[in-house]
Amino acid sequence: MRSAWRVLGVFCLIGLVATACGSGSTAQQKLQGGKAVWAEAPNATPNYIFPLTSGGYFSVANLSQFQFLMYRPLYWFGDNGTVKLNSSLSPAKDPVYSNGGTTVTITLKGWKWSDGTTITSRDIEFWLNLLKANKAHWAAYVPGGFPDNVVSASYPNDMTAVLTLDKKYGSYFYTYNELSQISPIPQHVWDKTSASGSIGDYDRNSEADGQAVYTFLDGESKKIDQYTTSPLWQVVDGPWKLKSMTSDGAVAMVPNPAYSGPVKPTLAEFDEVPEATDTAEFNVLRSGGLDYGYIPTQDADQRGSLSKYTFSPWVGWSINYIQENFNNADHGAVYKQLYFRQAMQHLIDQDGYIKNIDKGFGIADYGPVPTKPDNSFADSFEKKNPYPFDVNAAKKLLSDNGWTVNPGGVSVCSKPGTGTGQCGDGVKAGQKADFKAMYATGTKVQEDEFKAMASDFSKAGINLTITGAPFNTVITDAFGGTATADIDFWGGGWIFAPDYYPTGDEIFSTGAGSNGGAYSNATNDTNTVATTTSDDVSTLATYQDFLAKDLPVMWFPVLPSQLTMAKNTLHGWDPQDPLLQLYPENWYFTAS
Amino acid sequence: MAQSLVVVIGVTVITFVLTRLLPGGVARAILGPHASPPDIAQFNHDYGLDLPWPQQYLNYLWELLHGNLGFSYHLNETVVQLLSTHLPRTLILLSISTLLALVVAVPLGIMQAVRRNKLEDYFFTSVSFALYSMPPFWLALILIIWFASPPANLLPPQGPQGDISTYLDWDQMSGLILPVASLALVTIALFSRYMRSSTLDNLVQDYVRTARAKGVSNAGVLYRHVLRNALIPIITLLGLSLPGIFSGALITEAIFNYPGMGLLFWNSAQTRDYPVLLGVTVVVAVATVVGNLLADVFYAAVDPRVRVTG
Repeated sequence: MRSAWRVLGVFCLIGLVATACGSGSTAQQKLQGGKAVWAEAPNATPNYIFPLTSGGYFSVANLSQFQFLMYRPLYWFGDNGTVKLNSSLSPAKDPVYSNGGTTVTITLKGWKWSDGTTITSRDIEFWLNLLKANKAHWAAYVPGGFPDNVVSASYPNDMTAVLTLDKKYGSYFYTYNELSQISPIPQHVWDKTSASGSIGDYDRNSEADGQAVYTFLDGESKKIDQYTTSPLWQVVDGPWKLKSMTSDGAVAMVPNPAYSGPVKPTLAEFDEVPEATDTAEFNVLRSGGLDYGYIPTQDADQRGSLSKYTFSPWVGWSINYIQENFNNADHGAVYKQLYFRQAMQHLIDQDGYIKNIDKGFGIADYGPVPTKPDNSFADSFEKKNPYPFDVNAAKKLLSDNGWTVNPGGVSVCSKPGTGTGQCGDGVKAGQKADFKAMYATGTKVQEDEFKAMASDFSKAGINLTITGAPFNTVITDAFGGTATADIDFWGGGWIFAPDYYPTGDEIFSTGAGSNGGAYSNATNDTNTVATTTSDDVSTLATYQDFLAKDLPVMWFPVLPSQLTMAKNTLHGWDPQDPLLQLYPENWYFTAS
Repeated sequence: MAQSLVVVIGVTVITFVLTRLLPGGVARAILGPHASPPDIAQFNHDYGLDLPWPQQYLNYLWELLHGNLGFSYHLNETVVQLLSTHLPRTLILLSISTLLALVVAVPLGIMQAVRRNKLEDYFFTSVSFALYSMPPFWLALILIIWFASPPANLLPPQGPQGDISTYLDWDQMSGLILPVASLALVTIALFSRYMRSSTLDNLVQDYVRTARAKGVSNAGVLYRHVLRNALIPIITLLGLSLPGIFSGALITEAIFNYPGMGLLFWNSAQTRDYPVLLGVTVVVAVATVVGNLLADVFYAAVDPRVRVTG
């Protein structure tokens, strides 16, 4: 009898296992359809659809997380969580450089617009003509850069565009930072000057006509409530098209059935929802109302209680730094001394801040090229810390260069002059190491980091009088070009998008538009030019190693773009793209 | 009327100057760290921000007279469009919560006055004080934790996100319950305290004694004689709250992610979106003036002594 029960028990066990396995495979089965809801960051809502974007709308929210879903750039960057050209997702084949690097040939793959028309070189020409006629309105325009460096463009057939450049450029630089910005747009639908006007070749006629077309399209892009009804925006080439949108930034997208790319959407709908604050977003997340959201860093310890979600920090392709103003009337001369900058860098305890304040999610930054996610651009030197946290080393640098160090007080230059052991050019006797530093409020962990840094600085007698201010106030101070700005930390550093090759020509070169601190070094300028003109990636190593040592700014830990929480039933979102682009066409749900 | 116009114009002048005095330029705020000096110059030129302040103000006033409140730098919409989408949402939220507060607070206040120093009076007084002393954000968070988080998950943790035409759908309507409750609870506490003390004041008046002497029932005294007089302070409060109904409940809207006027104003202040700030301020200024006017009219309706004569 007992053995009969045993046999029965074994059968039951086998049955249970089989049932569990069976239900498991059903649970993990890829479901067709479904709606995924993704949370936008506070105050980062999309509001501009036309992919020739002016400064006010040139944001990650508008480009990477909105326009690109509907209008694919000619060359797609981002491949399985790394920063590189993704040939399979690009509507064009890899560019071919010839004539010593002065000619670029672009060949289209023959993908289709959603109305069935083929994407042709005319669509590239249309975009380029509009850009040339309206370059002052294009956010990415830098005098002398794209499209000024295109001497001529020809279109030998429907599938080919040939650009002749004004000189040789490095293929990495030109592909990653210039061609990356081109977006074919449907000339057969958009080349007109009014809603009721007929389609023409206005962009080819004259610059004035090109401006009229741009004015019309820009104006239509300012009618958010008409995005889903205007015939203009119904023709797309990306995997998604708009279903609805509000001026608050609530977006609903549905698959574009005519998308020619390799991965077609599985989801039936993808929604982006605006969130007023981190707290509001977290409330919705806790209730399970989001499929893909984030947990505020200060609440990160609570992530374990959200068992229905998977946690994953989303690291952007960015660097972080604190900017000194080399033109500051009182302290500029001090900042120009390399030993002083080295002393300050020695007083930044990046590892300590990451461990104790960032809850372990920060990433140490020792130079001008992002080290995370892992990439082939950051070299080994930059990944080591040339100036590790060392208060004694900082004090020694100051005392060896003519400063009387007063830990806890204010150090003073006691040996002015340019000789060995003296404070350096322009630093006067009695000059105090007493600076004003402004930091952006809003991200608590960064505020705490900055306050900790000020405390560490005082250990070597460098007094920072710190002031918190809104982000906008800090960046105005930092980039306003005044002699009163001193030390500024806006928290966001620099993200390399859509200029993906991290050359720094816009931030650290002498006179560069976003070189707010006015750092200037001839060696760096030469190194930077080499990164833009050479095909050799080693020029980037030379550039970054020099700046890691020369400290144009104070390097500071990078925070992840967000601490992602994605529902366990949502798949295909990992790895997250360092360029902060979304790939909902890869996403799908499973039952559990 | 002329006085009201002067007030509104005065508000526009002050707001205009204050927005220009805010630290941090609008162009940099909108364009971000990547913007080059030519970008900044182009932006300022496009929006007339490179003109002298007086000229900027006159241009603004001229457009205002033509019904044009400007164009939002940040939200890519005209201010009129933004107001037309955000104001109705705020009106719905604040009107429902104020109405609910009135419906509960007026009888509650009367009951407490009639049952003065009885158990129920002590109980509701304690509840009122507790609610009134609660910071609105704290009350809102408590409501979310109790009703909109696991394990309860009874209601949505955020306000309705769709167009107001969809508010009759349960999905949307249920989103209004918690924000309305968090606003109404605090307002009930306030109104009921005023109503209680106002009723108490009136219950000892001569006209009440006379009415009782003439044989009017308790209910008749309360609802026919006391109520109208006791409502006067509530009308004052309502008149004063009208601007708030238009300007929105910033904290509640932010916590419940409800895209009303308060949130619009807050976001615009953070992004230096001057046209929106000015537009909202003008609307609130007009609402304030109208609110005071309406309060005066209602005083006259409920209290014949303040009616204008001759």
